Amino acid sequence: MAREECKALLDGLNKTTACYHHLVLTVGGSADSQNLRQELQKTRQKAQELAVSTCARLTAVLRDRSLAADERAEFERLWVAFSGCLDLLEADMRRSLELGAAFPLHAPRRPLVRTGVAGASSGVAARALSTRSLRLEAEGDFDVADLRELEREVLQVGEMIDNMEMKVNVPRWTVQARQAAGAELLSTVSAGPSSVVSLQERGGGCDPRKALAAILFGAVLLAAVALAVCVAKLS
Amino acid sequence: MAAGPAPPPGRPRAQMPHLRKMERVVVSMQDPDQGVKMRSQRLLVTVIPHAVTGSDVVQWLAQKFCVSEEEALHLGTVLVQHGYIYPLRDPRSLMLRPDETPYRFQTPYFWTSTLWPAAELDYAIYLAKKNIRKRGTLVDYEKDCYDRLHKKINHAWDLVLMQAREQLRAAKQRRKGDRLVIACQEQTYWLVNRPPPGAPNVLEQGPGRGSCAASRVLMIEYFRKALGRTRVKSSVCLEAYLSFCGQRGPHDPLVSGCLPSNPWISDNDAYWVMNAPTVAAPTKLRVERWGFSFRELLEDPMGRAHFMDFLGKEFSGENLSFWEACEELRYGTQAQVPTLVDAVYEQFLAPGAARWVNIDSRTMEQTLERLRQPHRYVLDDAQLHIYMLMKKDSYPRFLKSDMYKGLLAEAGIPLETKRRVFPFTWRPRHSSPSPALLPTPVEPTAACGPGGGDGVA
Repeated sequence: MAREECKALLDGLNKTTACYHHLVLTVGGSADSQNLRQELQKTRQKAQELAVSTCARLTAVLRDRSLAADERAEFERLWVAFSGCLDLLEADMRRSLELGAAFPLHAPRRPLVRTGVAGASSGVAARALSTRSLRLEAEGDFDVADLRELEREVLQVGEMIDNMEMKVNVPRWTVQARQAAGAELLSTVSAGPSSVVSLQERGGGCDPRKALAAILFGAVLLAAVALAVCVAKLS
Repeated sequence: MAAGPAPPPGRPRAQMPHLRKMERVVVSMQDPDQGVKMRSQRLLVTVIPHAVTGSDVVQWLAQKFCVSEEEALHLGTVLVQHGYIYPLRDPRSLMLRPDETPYRFQTPYFWTSTLWPAAELDYAIYLAKKNIRKRGTLVDYEKDCYDRLHKKINHAWDLVLMQAREQLRAAKQRRKGDRLVIACQEQTYWLVNRPPPGAPNVLEQGPGRGSCAASRVLMIEYFRKALGRTRVKSSVCLEAYLSFCGQRGPHDPLVSGCLPSNPWISDNDAYWVMNAPTVAAPTKLRVERWGFSFRELLEDPMGRAHFMDFLGKEFSGENLSFWEACEELRYGTQAQVPTLVDAVYEQFLAPGAARWVNIDSRTMEQTLERLRQPHRYVLDDAQLHIYMLMKKDSYPRFLKSDMYKGLLAEAGIPLETKRRVFPFTWRPRHSSPSPALLPTPVEPTAACGPGGGDGVA
């Protein structure tokens, strides 16, 4: 079905954009290296492929005039999410171009900022490319050619956005989001309680433990009451 | 990151130069030999490198810029307030403590000097991520912002939640230490760009200056001078304004219409031809305007020419020639200033000159003194004297003279172009097809034309 296909493509693009954003955060910092630049290149190329195919599918569907109203609303929602995602990707690509030019690795003009991030980012890149693991070996002057390509790709994405807006006209104010405020709390895929504990808050994880203790106590009490009743009946 | 247009790459970042200076200071702190001493931060299990203490930062700044400790502390505080360095123990209070409290450097993506816009969409994604991580316990003002954003960018809310979830999953692929650092960096970025209520907004106010007694003295002096300035009552100003408008009203083409016809509407440029700067027969309105003020007369080339003729009859033409020569000196090129000054002196100011102008003795002495070092404003006083002389003396006589009255009588009022009676003989009002016009079909007007003509006839 067209809707599932579009949704799957959009999810893929969303995932790749999020991973790309996460990788661009560390450019210029202590974790910056030629490998990181290569991972960035692979991630953004994957993102662009997904963007092109999603664009083609969604444009084809939305230009079809024989679509029912509710289906059209659904596709317009997907369209708005897709164009927002593409804007995020383009902005991140522009920023990585500026940062890459400001912190060249091949002939470094200034020292990298010591931000405290030291580990490898291959896990993030592997997630973006949907592979299990990624092992890259970039040459010493990878970033020089990469910057030129990145400039061209930024322009390409900009053109794609312009073409999209020309072909399909979806006014943003007509789209109603499905999810209400706070919907992210209802899903069970939220990050586990121990993974991103910030430095100052320690007491945030107490509530589930308290609830668990209360349930256990209640169960023990019930068992004691049941035993007492049995003893009373027997005697 | 931003859902908006990025600035064009060629634009020079001249705004907020203090941010570029701060960036340079931070970059020089990163130098492996001469930078700030780095330590490691030890949490329960993880060890995160690249932490600096407040006292190290202050000492490094004092040494590098050769300033006092107090000044270095102020400079360090400015760096922290703009988000270049963030505290590790108490992330919400952005201030520098000159003791063992640890700090760390912000990643270049989040530097304020890049001036990338911090968009609503990004803030919404950050708040959604925080909501997921803290399971609904956001700080008050963040909760307000979250609700407001939900209303404001409701159409993008699906994208916000999708991105928030995916960014958290992407972050899980990193080591725990890196995850903590990146979370702290993002928190600092949003504390600077969306400060909590009550905290100073550095991006709008800029860095505060250290307290300095001399600046207050200057401010007091400035305000004292401002109090002593002369003021005009608004009743007086407004009366003058009303009389100005009343006098000029009939002369304004937008207010009173212009004859023969507005060229922009009728495509007939007779109006411009008739009011060209040098035209043999100026219109009546133009001649009337010469009577409003002396400046009007001099600014109009035809007016100036007629005034020169009049002065020639009165044998005081050298005044106007001198004034014109002074104007040429003031507004001419720098290269011809010395030659022009000499020429003016020879012709107008030297005793026994061919066209000697009558300036009072004191001004003449001062001017001759200053002519030793000529620049373009040496003749200002003399020019002003001659100007006032012409204005008080020759100009009223010109207005009363026969010459001026003759000009007024001669000048004609242009006739308005006649609009023809029958609609189909009207000239088209818009000769060139403007793309902004709706395509009005020509047939109905032609069809109702003969009908209208029949109705009239």
